[in-house]
Amino acid sequence: MLQLARSYERRKQLYLRVLMAPALLLMAALIVFPAFYAISLSLTNEALLGFAARDSSFVGLRNFTRLFTDPLFWNSLKVTFVFVIGSAVIGQFVFGLLSALCLRRPIRFKAIFNSMIVLPNAVPEMVVGFIWISMYATGEYGTLNRIVGWFGVEPQQWLFSFPLMAIVIVNTWRGIAFAMILLTSGLESIPKDVYEAAKVDGATDRQIFFRITLPMLMPTIFLYMFVSTVTTFAIFGLVYTLSRGGPANSTEIIGIYIYNQSFTAFQLGYGAAVAVVSLVISMLIGFFYVRALKVEI
Amino acid sequence: MLGSIGCAALVLAGVLALPPLSVAQDVIRIAEHRSVRLDALRTLVPEIEQKLGIEIRVVEYPSPALDYFTKLVTELRSGNAPDVFTIPRDQQIDDLAAAGYLADLSDELAGWEGYEHLAPLAQQLARATFNQRSYVVPSILAVEQLYYRKDVLERHGIPIEQPADWQDLLRRGRMIRERTGQYALLFPAGLTWGTGAYTEGFRHLLAGSSDARLLTEDGRYRLNSSGIRDALEFYETLIEEDLMPIQPLLNPEPWIIPKYEMFPAGELLVTTCGTWCVIFDWGPNSRNPIPNLEQRVATWDMPGKHGGRHVMAALVYGWAVNQKSRRPERAKQVALELGSVESAIAYAEGLGNVPARLDATEHEGFAALTHIHNAHAQLLRATAVQTTVGSSILMAGVARATESLLTGREDAAGAQQLLLRYVSNILGDEAVAVAGK
Repeated sequence: MLQLARSYERRKQLYLRVLMAPALLLMAALIVFPAFYAISLSLTNEALLGFAARDSSFVGLRNFTRLFTDPLFWNSLKVTFVFVIGSAVIGQFVFGLLSALCLRRPIRFKAIFNSMIVLPNAVPEMVVGFIWISMYATGEYGTLNRIVGWFGVEPQQWLFSFPLMAIVIVNTWRGIAFAMILLTSGLESIPKDVYEAAKVDGATDRQIFFRITLPMLMPTIFLYMFVSTVTTFAIFGLVYTLSRGGPANSTEIIGIYIYNQSFTAFQLGYGAAVAVVSLVISMLIGFFYVRALKVEI
Repeated sequence: MLGSIGCAALVLAGVLALPPLSVAQDVIRIAEHRSVRLDALRTLVPEIEQKLGIEIRVVEYPSPALDYFTKLVTELRSGNAPDVFTIPRDQQIDDLAAAGYLADLSDELAGWEGYEHLAPLAQQLARATFNQRSYVVPSILAVEQLYYRKDVLERHGIPIEQPADWQDLLRRGRMIRERTGQYALLFPAGLTWGTGAYTEGFRHLLAGSSDARLLTEDGRYRLNSSGIRDALEFYETLIEEDLMPIQPLLNPEPWIIPKYEMFPAGELLVTTCGTWCVIFDWGPNSRNPIPNLEQRVATWDMPGKHGGRHVMAALVYGWAVNQKSRRPERAKQVALELGSVESAIAYAEGLGNVPARLDATEHEGFAALTHIHNAHAQLLRATAVQTTVGSSILMAGVARATESLLTGREDAAGAQQLLLRYVSNILGDEAVAVAGK
């Protein structure tokens, strides 16, 4: 009998592994292999042009030494952190939470509001970029300039005068839906009898929010923060379409910097070194959130 | 289940191993971009197909020059680039040839009837500096000068004769600023202008500086030279004295506001530009045409720092053949056909560049292209600044150095050190000469 159970267990394990194999193979081919390849590339002077494209050589940590002394790398890191904190951690979260709280209440045209918030997330990054180029267009015919013109404000060069704020706003607009959906599911998971008990005890709305809703929502908030921070860190198309990292590198997030080094300056080795550093930062952020969520890995 | 997966994997592997069905054995693929260039090419293709007995497939690439070049380079690297393509600027030939992407066309060019008719500068620029082999079939050249708004200058009593030297040009710029209130001069600069910061701006100044040699005799970059400093100091003066518009140069597409809007509106009065400007930027079919262009816009040669003058020329869109082409001989024949006078005139008509061949003047189509006659006549005295392998890094370095001036982060001396550090960091100290030697 025991023998039979063990045999069944072994077959079950094998079956599960076979089922997982395609996913693991894909992950190995599309994530693990490129990551290791990028690490090996970062230790060479590999390039797309010049003699190094034909015969690249091992340069040790030279790319990393150069990287840490390159003010544009530090600038891109600073811009990326401002972008992530401004749009994902603050913008999307605050507006997502507000939307989730508002749409829990019985309001008219709820479905329309829901759609309005969710739609931007359904639009591809590049299309969002082009839509907002039109919004931010200079001159009196730019959409935003026409709007502020009704209040007597002179036409502005939005992407020049407020470049980082401009891309933070666009990414916030695009990401509210994801925050809202995740936080709504978190809110739904809070038992209703807790609220009822609090009300019976005479708790105010403010007390209910800060003493019940927010603490019980914390795991969902951390999960959201984890996912949105890492995905925002990796954004490329949206900012590339809007500003290409300019003016004067003021919107050159790390993804744009990697692209510029790899495919504008054609320095694959150096670009890979930046990508490796970016990967390490993403992993550190991931570990921080996982520890905060107290999830074992 | 495993059996099914195995079968599927085998079928997939078999399909991947097959040669692409879309490329038949006698088809030559040509990469081309921008609608005017595509239109010109399509008028030429039927005749070439008939003459060579082959099929030509035109592959449309992204329009912006930078996107075109990036896509081309990545495809060349991965081995699936078209058989024939153009190289936007002669400065890029060395880097592409050194990477092993280009077929050597020296023997074919030597036996080609058109070679002896090419302007000597075109012959020179078609060669890679590191081995003196020719890698492109020259077709058209850009002749670049200072374009100025003659009508506005005359209206405000500002002299329009050729500036004698840099100081004279700057004096003229200050007069423009004082009398018209408009921006005086534009020399492209900054990161977002890309290679144009070097090709359309910096090299014009370097060529007229106190030390115009960019390379040592053994092919290293001389980035500590007084010539480099002169050029950066000229930029510094333009910026400090508010003679050049700065903000537009920091935009994602920095040429749009100054070239397409400010110059036609008379808000910028002198700019470097090539023959393409009178067609593509301000011509009757452009987005912002300048009416009566011939009467309102004229050209100066670029003056030297201490006198003298020069006209810059660049070998643009030379035809190259993929080193990995499956039909190299056919591809080379096509490239040579695309170097014909007919081809150059078809392209010149839409783009405004001038044919690289001096015998183009004998072609009946040339007479109609009145806007390029003067520029074509200048080919024999036109000059260029020679670059070598690593030019893409040099140009990126110049873009960074000039950007640091635009943003006020560096003065000319600091910008020069930035350029030096950037180039030597990437190309290695051995590629850069020390102390301007």
